Amino acid sequence: MGLLDKTDLFLSVIETHKGIIYKVANSYCKDTDDRKDLVQEIILQLWKSFDNYNEQYKHSTWIYRIALNVAISFYRKENRRKEISHPYSEGLFNLTDIQENTEIEKHASFLQQFINDLKELDKALMLLYLEEKSHKEMSAIMGISETNVATKIGRIKIILKQKFSQITT
Amino acid sequence: MEETNFVLLWKEQYEKIDQSLAINKQLLKEIISQKAESALQSLIRLKAIGIAALVIYLIFLGIVLFYAITHYSSAANYFIISIGIIFLINLKALFDYIKHLVWTNEINYDGSVTEIQQRLSKLQLSILQHSRTMVLQFPFWTTFYLSDAWFPHSIGWGYIIFQLLITGSFTFLAYWLYKNQTIENVDKKWLKTLLQGSGGKSVMKALVFYKELEAFKQG
Repeated sequence: MGLLDKTDLFLSVIETHKGIIYKVANSYCKDTDDRKDLVQEIILQLWKSFDNYNEQYKHSTWIYRIALNVAISFYRKENRRKEISHPYSEGLFNLTDIQENTEIEKHASFLQQFINDLKELDKALMLLYLEEKSHKEMSAIMGISETNVATKIGRIKIILKQKFSQITT
Repeated sequence: MEETNFVLLWKEQYEKIDQSLAINKQLLKEIISQKAESALQSLIRLKAIGIAALVIYLIFLGIVLFYAITHYSSAANYFIISIGIIFLINLKALFDYIKHLVWTNEINYDGSVTEIQQRLSKLQLSILQHSRTMVLQFPFWTTFYLSDAWFPHSIGWGYIIFQLLITGSFTFLAYWLYKNQTIENVDKKWLKTLLQGSGGKSVMKALVFYKELEAFKQG
């Protein structure tokens, strides 16, 4: 594959799955500037491993693995992040302001907040669950057994339900 | 709240976002054409002072050692052996430090989350290994000043006992620290205090995460 073909293919894969990158970054980084850095780091790592992409997995699985791994590592390197910042001041994603109008949208916003508050690994698992990934795919991305996936999701959902019941009472 | 509603809420949250999310293709192209500074270059620059200090220290030890060997006399045996071992230990420490730095930054993130994160945490915790190696030089700082010319035959028993006590206690301390500076013990107060001086905060964070990871894998 020529460099141009490779670049075009990469751009098209990223375009198709940009939502994954955005959602992962949004769930792991509250600060807008940090989030821009994280998105760039994810893209950079995806590009670096694009040559070795294993076709046995779907593009989405490959992106989830890298995005989650980068996000979790990035989250933990808080000090380093402040000192090593990518040079671009603008973000990769442009998003028109979205207003929260309805009750459902407010609940959706609470859900995002509760997800953000989860521990890093639980958060990764919950993101996959909310994206309706199969237990098999979640198991491949997270590297734990399908039974373990099911047990953990059950536990996290109980925690989320408790949090929701607190805000509605 | 019904469990299926979480998925519906999530979809609700991102439906509008998915529609209005636009990617900055120009910036994307710039990133992948390597215009972005590599994280490794930045990290090495960040750690450059530490690396430079260790390199200068090694050069100093090397010069002293070279001088002692080229102007050899048996009186310098203790000095040559002690400084030689200190030099080798610090050389290994520098090598390991740079090696781990490179590994950390060249890690391929395309693996399962638990596998990659475990590898990264272990690399972060390699400071423990680094610290274990460094303590091995302690006893040799108590012997480099001795000389065949006067030790042990020209001094009294008092000094010999004193020297044995000093070298013995430093040897024991080095052995004890080497044996006990492990991941399993990092919760202990003495080790936390010891690590505070060498980027301990990030080590503690890595450790907390490492333990979470272990628990996560267990189910």
